Amino acid sequence: MRARRTVPPALPLGLSLLLVAFLLLPVAALLLRGLNAEFLPTLASEAVGDALRVSLLTTGITLLLTVGLVTPVAWLLARTHFPGKAVLETLLDLPIVLPPVVAGVGLLLAFGRNGLLGPPLEIAGIGIAFSPAAVVLAQLFTSAPFYLRTARAGFASFDPEVEAAARTDGAGGWAVFRFVTLPLAFPFLLEGLVLTWARALGEFGATILFAGSLQGRTRTVTLAIYAAMESDLGPALVLSAVMVFVAFALLLVVRVAAGRRG
Amino acid sequence: MFRPRVLLLSALLLGGTASAANLTVFAAASLTDAFTELGRAFDARTGHATTFQFAGSQALRTQLGQGARADVYASANAAQYDPLVAGGLVAAGQPFVRNRLAIITPRGSRVATLADLARPGVKVVLADKAVPVGDYARRMLAAIDKSGSYGKDFSARVMRNVVSEEPNVRQVALKVGLGEADAAVVYATDVTPALKATVRVIALPSRFNQSASYPIGVVRASTNAAAAQAFVAYVLSPDGQKILRKWGFQAPQ
Repeated sequence: MRARRTVPPALPLGLSLLLVAFLLLPVAALLLRGLNAEFLPTLASEAVGDALRVSLLTTGITLLLTVGLVTPVAWLLARTHFPGKAVLETLLDLPIVLPPVVAGVGLLLAFGRNGLLGPPLEIAGIGIAFSPAAVVLAQLFTSAPFYLRTARAGFASFDPEVEAAARTDGAGGWAVFRFVTLPLAFPFLLEGLVLTWARALGEFGATILFAGSLQGRTRTVTLAIYAAMESDLGPALVLSAVMVFVAFALLLVVRVAAGRRG
Repeated sequence: MFRPRVLLLSALLLGGTASAANLTVFAAASLTDAFTELGRAFDARTGHATTFQFAGSQALRTQLGQGARADVYASANAAQYDPLVAGGLVAAGQPFVRNRLAIITPRGSRVATLADLARPGVKVVLADKAVPVGDYARRMLAAIDKSGSYGKDFSARVMRNVVSEEPNVRQVALKVGLGEADAAVVYATDVTPALKATVRVIALPSRFNQSASYPIGVVRASTNAAAAQAFVAYVLSPDGQKILRKWGFQAPQ
C-alpha cells in the first residue's frame, strides 16, 4: 500500500518554513563564526578550559545533589496525598517561573553574609558567596524543579499495584524500588535530569549575583561567554559553538528518553 | 496656560531643531546617577526625549561595534572609546569629566587601611580588566608596587584575595553595599548618597590614585545628529558640568 501524500496548504507551509529559518539562522551563524581556524587553539586556551572545567564540576555536583535530594521528594509526592499538597507542589515549581536574577537576590538574602543564615554560617566558618558552592546553589535552586516535575510524573505514570504485587512476592522495600519502581520511571528521570543539566549549564543571572565571576573558580561557560564578549570575541564564539553542540546532544537524549517512555 | 507655551518656545529655541528627537545615549555605568539627572534637565530644556543605556564601557563599545543604534557614546576611558573613532563609528571624543578611584569597605569591616587589602582571607572584588575601572584599579596596584611602600608583591597578594571580577563598576559597588565583599575598588563618584549609608571609604594616598578621563562624542550613524550634538554641548556647558560636579565628578583637564 502506498502511503498517501498530500501537498500541504501553502500558508501553513510558508509560515513553517519562516519559523524554521528563523530558529536555525542564529544557530548557523554561531557555527559559521565559531568553527573557524581558531576553534581548536581557542578551545585549548586557559580561559576556555577553565570555564568548561568550572561548568562541568559545578553542574556535576548539582546533578548529584538533584538526584539524591529530589528523587525521594518526587516519589513521596507521587505516592502520598495530604492537605495543602497542591500549594506545596506549586511552591516547589516556583523557581521555574522566577526570573533568575530574583533567584539570585533570594539566595543572597538567605545564604549571603548578611542573609538569614549568614551569621550562623559565618560562625561555622562557612562563606558561601563567591565560592563554587554558591554556583552550585544557584544552579540547584533554578534547575532542580525541572527534575522534580518529570520525576513526579514518572512515579505517577504506572499503577502502584505493580509495586504492591512485587512486595507480596517477597521483595523488600529497596528491592521493589530498585527493580520495579526505578526501571519503570527511568525514562522520565533521565529526561528530567537532562533538562536540569541544560538549565544548570545555562544559568547566568543567579550565578553572577550570588557567586560573582572569577576565572577558574566561579566563572562558568555562560559567564565566560559574557565576559569574553566584552573584550575578546574569539573565546565567546568558540564557547558558543561548543554550547550549540552540547545543547543538541542533550536534546537528542531527551528525545530518545521520551521515545522509550511511549 | 501660559507657562507651558513659554517652555515649549524656549525648548524649540534651545534645541535648535524644529522637532523633538528620541535620543539614545550609551554611557559608562559610573555615570548612571549623574547622567540620569542631567538627561532630565536636558529634556526639560530642549523637549527631546533622552533614554540611557548604562553598562560597562567595554560592553557598550562591543555593542556599538556590532551595529547597535545609539546617538551619543560616553566612555569611562579612551581605551574603550578610541578604537571606535579609528573604526569610523564615533566622532572624536571630547573629555568632559575626570574621576578618581576610591576603596570601599562595608561599615564595621575589619578592613581599615590600604595594607589590609593584602591580608589573607580578605575578600576583594574588582571589575574585570576589560572594564575601565578594572584597568585603573590594576594601574593603581602597580603604582603601589612600584613605590615599595607596602612591599614589592603587594598587588600579587591583593590579587590573590580577589573573589570576583565583575562586568561593571556598579556591580562591584553592589557587592560591598550588600556586605558580601570586604573591599572593592570603585570610582569616587560611585560612593553615592545611597551607597554612603552602608560603606566606608578607605584613604588612598593621592600619588597612587589614577585620573580617569571620560570622552564623549556623537555616534556617526546617528539619525538625530543635531540633537545628539546638542546633548554633547549640554554636557560640556556650565549647567551640565554643574550637575556632574554635584555627583562628584571633576572638571576635565
